[in-house]
Amino acid sequence: MKDTSAKNVHGKAGFKSAEPIVTLLVLAGLALFPTLVSSPYSLHLMILLFLSIIMGQSWNIVGGYAGQYSVGHAAYFGAGAYTTMLLMQQWKIAPWYGVWAGMAVAVVVALVVGSICFRLRGPYFVLASIAVAEILRLSTMNLKDLTNGAEGILATEIPPLTIAGKVITDFSTKVPFYYIGLGLVVLTIVVTFLVQHSKLGYYFQAIREDQDAAHSLGINLTFHKNIALIVSALLTSLAGSFYAIYIGFIDPPTVLGLDISVQIVLICIIGGIGTIYGPVVGSLVLVPLSEALRSNIIAEAIFATGAVSPTSGVGVFLKENLAHAHALIYGVLVVVVILFMPDGVLGFVRKLTTKRKGERS
Amino acid sequence: MAILEIKNVSKFFGGLAANADVSFEVAQGSIMGLIGPNGAGKTTLFNCITGYYEPSRGEVIFKGNRMNGLQPDRVCKLGMARTWQKVRPLAKMSVLDNVMVGALCRTNSLKAAREIAMEQLQVVRMDGKAAFLAGGLPIGERKKLEMARVLATKPELLLLDEVMGGLNQSESEEIVLLILDIKSRGITQMVIEHDMKTIMRISDRIVVLTSGEKLTEGTPQEVVSNQAVIDAYLGESHS
Repeated sequence: MKDTSAKNVHGKAGFKSAEPIVTLLVLAGLALFPTLVSSPYSLHLMILLFLSIIMGQSWNIVGGYAGQYSVGHAAYFGAGAYTTMLLMQQWKIAPWYGVWAGMAVAVVVALVVGSICFRLRGPYFVLASIAVAEILRLSTMNLKDLTNGAEGILATEIPPLTIAGKVITDFSTKVPFYYIGLGLVVLTIVVTFLVQHSKLGYYFQAIREDQDAAHSLGINLTFHKNIALIVSALLTSLAGSFYAIYIGFIDPPTVLGLDISVQIVLICIIGGIGTIYGPVVGSLVLVPLSEALRSNIIAEAIFATGAVSPTSGVGVFLKENLAHAHALIYGVLVVVVILFMPDGVLGFVRKLTTKRKGERS
Repeated sequence: MAILEIKNVSKFFGGLAANADVSFEVAQGSIMGLIGPNGAGKTTLFNCITGYYEPSRGEVIFKGNRMNGLQPDRVCKLGMARTWQKVRPLAKMSVLDNVMVGALCRTNSLKAAREIAMEQLQVVRMDGKAAFLAGGLPIGERKKLEMARVLATKPELLLLDEVMGGLNQSESEEIVLLILDIKSRGITQMVIEHDMKTIMRISDRIVVLTSGEKLTEGTPQEVVSNQAVIDAYLGESHS
């Protein structure tokens, strides 16, 4: 066992050399996707997938690498969403300027959370992160003059994106959102890659593994935890702004709710914490799953196998209730993954492949 | 010249004095042994010196600087590094990455850190295991990894807290040779150790603690012939 785990660290030379080519092929395929597939629903699914990857990748930096489990990332997501949306609707400031303001607000929130909570050890950070997100949600709910409260904000008109007077896109289709989403996915993955291959990445992981040891090796714990949180908040805020402009409507529960915070954490836990591909894998599992559960695909699949007739009592029950039970099934699946794949789907697959390699040699 | 001066250091936990009025000096380039029965306050003293605790009273002076109240990371940057009684490997990182984290204390370049780390792994003869995960190592190698990791921070004073605890004879001997090798490179060391034979062999001077207080101090010969030490410390295990 020890031998295989050691090989796992070093023995990926063959895999690594193929990696750039595979990455380029995947990117090329994704870039061509909207020209090949024009169905709005497929594009919508892909954009949801991108959004999920961006969110997971952002959380991964502070949660996965630095080991500081924030369960309040909705705060940064909502900060981006509300700032961009308010600037656009109230002051007619175009979203590509608004996102910067959104990121600035997210950093301010991160600094407040970090400077207070990172002085303490243990679960304080987790609890405080939830509290801050809830405070923001309730404030947004009640500051009706500024935020329109529970009614939310509807984007009435997105100004066209122009560069040097030339209109690039007017956002009338989903295609520009697709490319912006893809761009943000690439951005977050590149940021994660750079962090992982820098002094910061080493320090984050050292803090995650053992705070006392890290401290004694010259690592300023508070400073580095704050850096991790700020980078993470910046990227999460981008995701929030993107969501707001794409969907065109936000209200406190959908961008600041606790379920957003939990969703972000789950993407990483399911995929594999502290790895570049973890959030990608997690999103590939969770997004199609929640879409499938929301529709009646699963019931249809059960009928297709012929095990249950759609007209029988059980069939009717399934047809009527399975779609409503999506949260329940989703929850059970998450528990199963956490119980049987503690390192996420990616970690589970890696374990299987290294085991097979071990058997061969 | 003294690289480290402990001046009347006391540390209280509630009403309990874990260290009471402890004073001594550690000479540059020497090995200072720190012995005493369980609960004598040896590790507490290490924690006071390295910034994990702030002494309730007294001063810790390192290279002429007052260290009281400095955080452990500052202490490490100033050239004082420690190991832990209970080893603390960064389990999910490779052996090389563990040592690199130490080396990054002195450089911002990963390449330079990797070179420093490989050098230190060669010093403890673990360069062959660089790619292994630290969490999978047996105890003897974990202790050596910890030594390599602190050496990579380029310390001038090294505090070793029971680096031989739990090791067999040949593993202990390896560590002893390593400690002597570190000394020959001019690094001052303070060593907590339970095995009397070993501590007698490596130490230039020894400080004996009991119940938080300094019982005596002297060369190994002076300490073993001291009746109070025999009563308080050796008496227990040799009666």
